Amino acid sequence: MNSDIAKSKDVTLLEILDRVLEKGVVISGDMVISVADVDLIYLGLKVLLSSVETMEQLRGSPFAGPMREAV
Amino acid sequence: MTDNQLVYLYCVANEEPKLAKAVDLAEDLYLVCHRALHAVVGEVDESEFGAEGLKRNMADLEWIKTNASAHEKVIEQAMINTDVIPFKFGTLFATDESLKMMLEQHGEEFKAILERLANKQEWGLKIYCDLEKLRTGLLSSQERILKIDNEIKSSSVGKAYLLKKKKDEMIEQTLNERINKCGRESFESLKESSCEARINRLLPKEVTEREDEMVLNSAFLVGKDKVGNFIDVVDTLKMRYEQDGLFVDCTGPWPAYNFCGLSDGRRQNE
Repeated sequence: MNSDIAKSKDVTLLEILDRVLEKGVVISGDMVISVADVDLIYLGLKVLLSSVETMEQLRGSPFAGPMREAV
Repeated sequence: MTDNQLVYLYCVANEEPKLAKAVDLAEDLYLVCHRALHAVVGEVDESEFGAEGLKRNMADLEWIKTNASAHEKVIEQAMINTDVIPFKFGTLFATDESLKMMLEQHGEEFKAILERLANKQEWGLKIYCDLEKLRTGLLSSQERILKIDNEIKSSSVGKAYLLKKKKDEMIEQTLNERINKCGRESFESLKESSCEARINRLLPKEVTEREDEMVLNSAFLVGKDKVGNFIDVVDTLKMRYEQDGLFVDCTGPWPAYNFCGLSDGRRQNE
């Protein structure tokens, strides 16, 4: 059980994100500046971050020099 | 660049809520009142929360964590002395006037929702499964698995291979049955102790950052006078499943994020 207690802070944050970003009333209308798909961003964030890292690794690799201009 | 201000909506209440004084992350809270509804709002910078800023910041996990926590904190403070309708993170208006227009348009619906939520609380229940622990438990307790184990020991190599395959299938099947039974029993028994109940999508390990697998994600709207009973049921479930590697995690009370859908098409996300 100790490990659960140690993790409780993370779990709470997860619980908050699971609600605040996913649920709650959504309204749309002319006067509302709304962000589409906020919830998807959070689920995909980890994947996104890891793909950014991958991209940066690729960029730093010897084969990924600047693209040559055509013509 | 001029830094325009936007109006960030946290929640709508039917009675004047006490605003948090010491919410360090959202200092400029105020109320916008219209048609006997009290909207808890804050001024935010357009550079941070405008379409472009928000798009940029929503790729920043630390920014999300800080601001989502602040969103929750403000609403929790407001719900101490009134019922609230929590809005989704990032609900923004250009001015107080445009927010009032929205309250004018949806006022009756909001009042109906607040009436439905009166004297009720949202509680969350997630169940996580330590698959290895559950599997190990099944291996030693299931008679048909023990039986096939004995058969394997006394069989030829070829037959043992097939039996082993059969055994693995049997284990996976039993495992799934056990998890489903736990989820179903837990959900159904808590549903009986609450006014409304819903099941949400499971979150993958990348999001939960836990070793064990989420096998149930559910939310319940519980009458305030029934909370004691609800918690008793949760404790019974906890004890029933603990030794099998099924961890029952109950949290609350929460603002009713899961139970405030609008009646028309603009309902909360499914």
